[in-house]
Amino acid sequence: MKTITKKPEVLAPAGTLEKLKTAIHYGADAVYIGGNAYGLRSRAGNFSFDEMKEGVAFARKYNAKVYVAANIVAHENDTDGAGEYFRTLRDIGIDAVIVSDPALIEICALEAPGLPIHLSTQASATNYETLNFWHEEGLERVVLAREVSMDEIKQIRNNTDVEIEVFIHGAMCISYSGRCVLSNHMSMRDANRGGCSQSCRWKYDIFEMDEETGQPIGLEGNPDEPFSMSAVDMAMIRHIPDLVEAGVDSLKIEGRMKSIHYVSTVSNVYRQAIDAYCNDPENYEFNEAWEDELWKVAQRELATGFYYGIPDPNQQIFGKPRKIPKYTFIGQVIDYDEETNIATIEQRNHFKIGDDIEFYGPGFSHHKQTITEMWDEDGNPLDVARHPMMIVKMKVEHPVKPLDMMRKRKA
Amino acid sequence: MIKIIATAASAEQGKALLEVGVDMLYVGEDAFGLRLPTSFSRAEIETMVEIAHSQNKKVVVAVNALMHNDRIEKVVSYLQFLEKCRVDAITVGDPGVIHLLKKHNLNIPFIYDAQTIVTSAKQINFWAKRGATGAVLARELTYEELEAIGAQTTVPLEILVYGATCIHQSLRPLASNYLQYTNQDVSPSKKRGLYITEKNDPDSRYSIYEDINGTHIFASYDVNLLTQLDKVMEANLHHWKLDGLFTKGDDFVQIARLFVEAKNALLEKRWSADYMQQLNEKLHEYHPKDRPLDEGFFVKDPTEIE
Repeated sequence: MKTITKKPEVLAPAGTLEKLKTAIHYGADAVYIGGNAYGLRSRAGNFSFDEMKEGVAFARKYNAKVYVAANIVAHENDTDGAGEYFRTLRDIGIDAVIVSDPALIEICALEAPGLPIHLSTQASATNYETLNFWHEEGLERVVLAREVSMDEIKQIRNNTDVEIEVFIHGAMCISYSGRCVLSNHMSMRDANRGGCSQSCRWKYDIFEMDEETGQPIGLEGNPDEPFSMSAVDMAMIRHIPDLVEAGVDSLKIEGRMKSIHYVSTVSNVYRQAIDAYCNDPENYEFNEAWEDELWKVAQRELATGFYYGIPDPNQQIFGKPRKIPKYTFIGQVIDYDEETNIATIEQRNHFKIGDDIEFYGPGFSHHKQTITEMWDEDGNPLDVARHPMMIVKMKVEHPVKPLDMMRKRKA
Repeated sequence: MIKIIATAASAEQGKALLEVGVDMLYVGEDAFGLRLPTSFSRAEIETMVEIAHSQNKKVVVAVNALMHNDRIEKVVSYLQFLEKCRVDAITVGDPGVIHLLKKHNLNIPFIYDAQTIVTSAKQINFWAKRGATGAVLARELTYEELEAIGAQTTVPLEILVYGATCIHQSLRPLASNYLQYTNQDVSPSKKRGLYITEKNDPDSRYSIYEDINGTHIFASYDVNLLTQLDKVMEANLHHWKLDGLFTKGDDFVQIARLFVEAKNALLEKRWSADYMQQLNEKLHEYHPKDRPLDEGFFVKDPTEIE
């Protein structure tokens, strides 16, 4: 019987402490977060040292890891204080830092020995000799460039011992990461220091220069469709066996800016698929419900990036985007009474009697029902739950657990 | 110690550039080097090196592509060839190539050139400690930053003083995908001269083309630092790069001549505002009319960049 010797880690984004706990609760083996400095998501919720401590303590309980992204490409003075920062992370118990700039790698290695370093995808590592270079420099892991194909990953695996991490889900840079400064030139925001204005997703006209007249001319038959460089998102849910067989160590989900709805759903799905394959590879069957679930939190269409070839026009967003069914996160279960089948819910978005809703929880549990009866905290009947964070009691048809989530399809 | 390095699109143009006083020629093969005016064959590289060396001048070869496995395997024999024909240096942007130079004991000086991400003295010094004999600075650095870098590094620093700035490299065929989607039978090669204009900025015009390394997009304005060369020199930026990707034939040679004259005037303390103005006016005559020029990030305030 075939057995899996190396089960890859599910690595989820956590923009806040709540998201960190949610990701781990929903099956992530590790999370990556941002601190108050040196990270590329200046607008994502970033962690204070105290929050990191709490996050690490929580993660330890579940045997999960916490990585901190410090992946800016530094300019002069940006690295001030970095040694102290890395030492603090190490002493807090952070499991690794994700870095792309060699200046920060050097500071971390010299001033915070013992803190493992992962090379960020921002460094666009695309071949095994590059991984060997960084391995010899003492790095523990390399996050591959998103341009690397499945076949190339296998070759890389066969030619290096350093750990390999790949992106499997979420939004993507359409450029080689780190090699795009559209934002710097178009809006004076440094893409490599957390300021990316996503100029690639803007609309452009395309022309050619008439060599004789020096005047711009529209392309022949230039239609109304504007030029754009906007990429669809990635979803590798159908290809988990390939990723495991390729020997990848860590499977990364993008989205430190995304909601707990997203983080819980995506972690949950990949946890299921990876467990299903690794526990019994010979009898593994893809479950369509996994993909359906991912669509519920999708912002764009989903595709496989460079894994199986150079992305064609279908992996860029042209024309009218296909309509994606939208789901709204409406509440989180905070308590459940088995005797009465009454769940206590913390409201996150508007819902009312008659709404068709869906509960989901870790382990890919799902229940659909219609809301028939609900009450406020004091037991007064409610027709509508209007207020954010209000406490609502509700009769449920199937048992639920604290931290289960409640969503409904948008009209 | 100011050196002028210029791209050569052919042996003929290379010769002409050396004649007008360029110190180093920059050439290479598309499979390993980025955004070159012409992809040179190995025989052409050999010829170029012979010509330059016969005049005590130098040739730097572009090996600065991001390489996937197939390319990193092929680059070994290329590097062996470059060592054999005694090129004076190569540019490198992929640490895998640095790893291979060491692994195969190849004795070729390398200049660190990772394009957009070469932004601090500490980073440059990291590569210098690992053998880099120089570094090519990112185009997105302001004067204040460049000055600070110049003061804290020991290897010669190369700065683009004339030519186009690449602001985006994707491995995706971004233009082909669009043209296919809109059913247009157009090949987005460099020759075609395509450019894009941002909808909200109708005066912008970003050149775009595809080649073996993917899709490349360039800044609206080509860089011209002729008017800033005194400051460039003061900041210890000693290798001045002229990029002829979009400036053809003799026009580019004439522009190189102007920079050589500027360099000599600066070194001989003959530099004046009037003289600079004269040279700059001539430069505008030779520069392609459809490509506006400016001083890029050199004249920007670092605090204005978020």
